[in-house]
Amino acid sequence: MKQKNETILLIATIIALAILIPFASSNPDGLERVAESLEVEEPAPLWRGIMPDYSLENIDNPYVSTLISGMLGVCLVLAASFIIGKAVSKGESK
Amino acid sequence: MHIPDGYLDAPICILTYAVSLLILILCWKKAKSEFQSRFASTLAILSSLIFVAQMLNFPIVGGTSGHLVGGTLLATIFGPYIAALGMTIVLLIQAVFFADGGITTFGANIFNMAIIGAFSYYIVKLLAGKTPSTKRFLTSVFVTSWLSVVLGSLACALEIGFSQAFPADISVTVPAMLFWHAIIGVGEGAITTPLVSAIKYVNPSLFSFHFPWRLPINETEE
Repeated sequence: MKQKNETILLIATIIALAILIPFASSNPDGLERVAESLEVEEPAPLWRGIMPDYSLENIDNPYVSTLISGMLGVCLVLAASFIIGKAVSKGESK
Repeated sequence: MHIPDGYLDAPICILTYAVSLLILILCWKKAKSEFQSRFASTLAILSSLIFVAQMLNFPIVGGTSGHLVGGTLLATIFGPYIAALGMTIVLLIQAVFFADGGITTFGANIFNMAIIGAFSYYIVKLLAGKTPSTKRFLTSVFVTSWLSVVLGSLACALEIGFSQAFPADISVTVPAMLFWHAIIGVGEGAITTPLVSAIKYVNPSLFSFHFPWRLPINETEE
């Protein structure tokens, strides 16, 4: 993809995140719903992650907290998949 | 559809880890021969888009929600091998940093979302045929997106159903999972199809990897 298009897509993704966070549903997803209807309690997680539930512990505002953790997630995914993409490719081409 | 730690017993965790790792190694080897380094940035941006989309649950009926998985989206553009690797990165970041999906169940989550999503590529190919019109191509993408979520939920239902750690067997988990994901899958199709359509419009040559017949003659990239 052209670099310009890629930049636009990345910015659009972040803007979509910023706009859509308040509208995201906090209802249980399909699997959580099935577990709830069977009265299965979610076991205590073995690993709580660094930003559990896409939030940062020391930020009170839930919107800001989710937005920043989401943006950190974007950076992590960008970096990791870029490294994988470079590593997997032969390094030829133009 | 991210399975948390504790739903799957040890044999199923080990089995799903083994199967997923084997398939990922195969994908790595296959991807090595066809993926070009200049597409690493495109892969990175589309993977981030999928990460963001997975954060944004959309409501469906009955107080339930769903979110995009994105496997079909990535597979339509990059083919199954690199799509499986990209999806695995998203799931890895989710599990490690956000505790979205367990560590012991990571193998199962890779299988249900990354591998089934990525290999749904062959369903798009099958449905689209050799020289599809844009309409047929996009219809195939929609149907495949739906199917990838439903098949993923079926795999998930079998895993939790056969697991001794989950107190319901497959006669309960399969219909319940299929019911909700047949609805959630419509959302997958409704998000994937316009995205594929838009990306194809802006950059038709991206599809030249795996859908070369879609390239208008003399289309140039850069």
